[in-house]
Order: sequence, then C-alpha cells, then structure tokens
Amino acid sequence: MLDLKIHSNEIDKIGKFSKEEKDYRIKNLNYFNDIGLPNKKDEDWKFSDLNAIVSKNFKKLNLKLGKSDNPKINFIKEFEHNYIVIINGKLTASDFKYEEKNKIDLKPFTNEDYSNKKENNPLVNLNHALSHEGFFLEVKENYKFNKVLVIYYFYTDDLDENLLNSKNKIKIGNNSEIHFVDFIVNESKRNFFNNIYEEIILEESSTLKNIYLQNDKSPGYFHKYTKNKLSSGSNLSSFIFPTGLKFNKLDLEFDLEGENSVCNIQSAAFLNEYDHQEVKTRVNHLYPNCKSYQKVKNVLNDNSKGVYQGKIFVKDVAQKTDAYQLSKAVLLNERSEFNSKPELEIYADDVKCSHGSTSGSLDKDSIYYLMTRGLSKKESTKLLVESFLNEIIESIKSSSLRNFIKTKLENQLKNEHKKH
Amino acid sequence: MLEIKNLNASINNREILKGLNISIKPGELHAIMGPNGSGKSTLANVLSGKEGYKISGELNYLGKSLNEISIDERAQKGIFLAFQYPTEIPGVNTSNFLRTSLNKVRKAQGKKEIDALSFLKLVKEKSDELGMDEKMLTRQLNVGFSGGEKKKNEILQMKILDPSLIILDETDSGLDIDALKIVADGVNSARDKKKSFLVITHYQRLLNFIKPDFVHVLADGKIVKSGTKELAMELEKTGYKGIN
Repeated sequence: MLDLKIHSNEIDKIGKFSKEEKDYRIKNLNYFNDIGLPNKKDEDWKFSDLNAIVSKNFKKLNLKLGKSDNPKINFIKEFEHNYIVIINGKLTASDFKYEEKNKIDLKPFTNEDYSNKKENNPLVNLNHALSHEGFFLEVKENYKFNKVLVIYYFYTDDLDENLLNSKNKIKIGNNSEIHFVDFIVNESKRNFFNNIYEEIILEESSTLKNIYLQNDKSPGYFHKYTKNKLSSGSNLSSFIFPTGLKFNKLDLEFDLEGENSVCNIQSAAFLNEYDHQEVKTRVNHLYPNCKSYQKVKNVLNDNSKGVYQGKIFVKDVAQKTDAYQLSKAVLLNERSEFNSKPELEIYADDVKCSHGSTSGSLDKDSIYYLMTRGLSKKESTKLLVESFLNEIIESIKSSSLRNFIKTKLENQLKNEHKKH
Repeated sequence: MLEIKNLNASINNREILKGLNISIKPGELHAIMGPNGSGKSTLANVLSGKEGYKISGELNYLGKSLNEISIDERAQKGIFLAFQYPTEIPGVNTSNFLRTSLNKVRKAQGKKEIDALSFLKLVKEKSDELGMDEKMLTRQLNVGFSGGEKKKNEILQMKILDPSLIILDETDSGLDIDALKIVADGVNSARDKKKSFLVITHYQRLLNFIKPDFVHVLADGKIVKSGTKELAMELEKTGYKGIN
C-alpha cells in the first residue's frame, strides 16, 4: 500500500502563509489524513475505489513540481475564441481580444474564506490544504461575451507521479452571458494525479454554457469537484465529453438557489482499455419553479468501467420542480462494466421528477440490417456507436463547436477501429 | 444466378427448411408463396447470411458457394434483401447511410466511390420515381417512418445499390393499394435481363402488379408445387389447403 499520509510541513514547502491561512490548511490536511484517499467502503466511492486505483498505479505522489519551461500551446484554429492558458494548474496567459476588457476581471486565485469543515469528499479537504494555484474569473454585470472562451488546461511532459491541486472560481454577473470550453491538453506520458476544486457562481438571470473536452488520450488521473450556484432566472448548460483520461471522476454539485433557474447537464463518453470514468451529480432544488435535466451516455469497450451516480434533491419549499435524469450505456465487451445509481430525495409534494437507466449491448437487428447493406460488422458497430453519442453533440447549438467535437469523437473511434 | 439444392435450415434445434430446391436464372422473377410459418422469412434470412441458423445443403450464387460468405460480403456481391420489417436505427442519417452503403458496394465491385454531387443527383432521380419526399432522407433511418415509407425506402435502396439478386420479403404487407402500385412499379422498372428476383409473399395481390415467371408454393419447409402465374390464381381460389 502507498502511504498517503501527508505531513504538515508540506504546507510550508508550498509557500509562506498568514497564520489564519496556515491554520486553515493544517486543519484541512488533518481532515484529509483522517480518512486518506477514499475507498469503496465510502458510499460515494463505492464504484470508484480511489485508494485501490492510486495504490495500484502510483509508487508515490510527488508534491513538488519541477520547473518546466513554458510549453508551446497549439491553439485551436477551427473557430475564433478568447483564451486563458493554465499550465499544470497555474494561470499563465490570457487574451480577451474579442471582448470589452473592463467587463472582465481575471487574476490568480486567492482564498478569502478560511471557514473550514470536514467535507463529504476528502479530496476537497486535500485541495483546501495544498492548493496554491488557479484563477478567478469574473464577468461583470450586463455583459454578453462576443466569442467563446477556451480555457486551455495544459499539463506538461515532465509530470511524473505528481499530485497537483488547484482552485478556480468563476463568477458571472447579473444578466451576463459566457460560453466557455474547458479544453484539456495533456503532454505527460507518465501518471499524475490532478485534483481541482471549482466554484461557479451564476448571478441573477445570467447564462453559462460550458463544454468539457479532452484533446487526446493521456495517462492522467483526474478528480474535479465543482460547486455551481444558480441564482434566480439563471441558466447553466454543461456538456461533458470526458473521453481520454485513465481515471476521471467529476463530482458536480448544483444548487438551484433562486426561482426559475435552469440547469442542463449532458455527457457522452467512449471508454476503452482500462479507462475508469465517473460522473457524479447532485442537483439541489432549493427554490420553487426550477428545472434540471441530465442525460448521460456511455459506450464501453475492452476492460473499461463507467459510473454514473446522479442525485436529485428537492427541498420541501421547492414546489413545481421539474427534474429529469437519464443514463444510457452500451457495453461492447463482456469485460466492460457500467454502474448507475440514480437517487431521488423529494420533500415537496407538487413536483415532476423522473429518472431512467438502461445498459446493454448494441441492437443485433440494427447490426444485421446495416450489414445487409454492405457495411462490415466493425463499420456497423462504429456507425451505431457514433450515432448513439452524437445525439448529445447534436444538442450543442454552435455549429463550429459541434463540428469540432464531432471530429474529435470521430478520430477517437477511428483509432479504435484501426486497433482491433 | 441462384441455385439452391436440398437446403435445410434449423434454429434453436427447430427445423424450418427441410430440403428446399430452387433454381433462378438471370432475368427471371420467381415468386414464393406459402402460409404462415412455412419458412418464407427463414429462406430470406438464410440467403442474406443472417447468423444463428444451422444450415446444410447447397447454396450457390453466380456459380459459387455462399457458405462462409458473410452478410456484408453477400451484399457487396450483389445480393439485396428488402426487409419485411425494416429496422429503425436512431441517430443514423438516412442519406449518409445510403451513401456509405453505396460506396461500400461500389468499392467491393472495383468501382470508384461516388462523389457527393453525383450521389445527390442519383438519389433525387430514384426517389422521384418512387414519389418519395427527399426530406425523408434527411431523417434518421426508418425512425418514425410509416409502413409505406419504410417499404419505399427499401425499394429506393434497391434501386440505388443496383444489385443482381433481389429478395423481397413480404414487401406488400402493410401497404395500401396506392403504395403497393408505386412499390410494384419500382420493382418492374428495375427488371432487366441481368437481374433476378425472388419475391416472397403471402397473398396473390402483389402478383397482379408484379408478373412472375415462376410461382412456387412453400409448405412445411419444402417447395410442394411449382408452376407459372396461373398457379397463384389457383391458390387465390383454393387457398393453401387445396394444394397438397
């Protein structure tokens, strides 16, 4: 077993902190050390035994980062965009050339809140204890972005069994709107663990559209916890395409804390080899007349494992809640595995909540039909997989983004096709 | 074109075809009629190469055995099956699928892939012939199509892929008289000296519109009677029970 207790002197190695901040970090570290990396005994980690996964794939977790030169970023050419560059968690560059500069505030993340408690997710405590990089982005009131913002999360090729912790906060002012893409570019050829804590705040009547996308396959082990807070009349849509990492757990929490707020979460993933991916959501309906929609699609090949844990919580006052949740998985191989755990916890009596979950192999009749038209079994499978996942991509309104993501998916499937 | 000798087929240890013989020459249209459960659809499935059947006997197409030839290869060699119940495939665009299919078949036959423009022209021409709205082709494959639309889509595929041996499995079922005429016209206009047809049907009705060269009666997995189109008329009067 890997020794995962982290000594408090690691905090001093990160930097010099005020007494208040240091105490905060030490307390959080103690919370983490009490539990360590969570294992399957923890209900939230039942299907993703992180302790076992890390023990199996890491000899150590290195907290010290080498000094790497700033790498060359290949910016996306397919569509015009603003950008932020984050290298190994650190805010490095940005360009908002299509926007009014005085409407945007971007700076390295600084913590202002030192209240602390034992979190449900020990990785959040770990992040609070050790994180010292990240960014804070604010979109001021009444401003609508002209072009999409791409946040390049770049991981350098010198990472080797490192543990990275970073924190981001994004705040969107009243009546403002931003579309951004989390674009993960991983140059590392070796394993490393990336632990991100994120806070997203949507003020009244603001809109956020977000796409989460990996550039390529890479040996990253990622965990991200995101707290989304939606004020009244705000609208959030999140499209998640997590394909690529060896391990990825997205723990996403959405607080609908104002009337008529809407959140839409959709995910499409193609997993192969020993990929292990989990999407865990918790949508908290805390006010009346809010709407949430979740659709999660997974295609699993080889020994891959997919997990979806989706919880909808409806507070007693949250009448007229409209909540929907659907998970669909296709297993291409008898060694692949998919686990789905839908949960509804409802305390209001006038609500519309529904959920569904299916998993199975591809429809044999469909494959037969396609083959009678001259397509091989592999080609038929590829076409069916692609169309299964494309349904999610099709609901992205911007055609340039949609095509960009489609091409990424096609390439992933093409590589798969060649391999077998 | 097609030579079937003493064909036996069973599925889950149940014998369906029990020594079936049939021989179809280029340019001929043969109709196979028979009561429910006689093995009509099994014959269509077996010819297409569908998996799951235990087969013995000879199955020769263009002088070569079809044993060991997969479903897709048969299609590429010019065997086309129009389904009784075409499968609905969500997410697959009909037009894109048709082009992929055509190019697979053309490539296998050593022809050049068709470009987008020529393809659109071809599709327009063929769908006009069948009185099909081209908009249908922008929809997902067979999803939400009416019974008639599904069958027309099968005939459209037949016309576009231009196969040599065409098997129509109860193409007339579920069609009203207008749709039946259109589908029959589609088949008739595709007939020529090189193509062969095997038309599987339960009712004589279709054969009023598609004139067969030969009619066979299939009962309990065997051809029990063969004749010309007069046999179909006779059947209409006496029913299948009068045959044996």
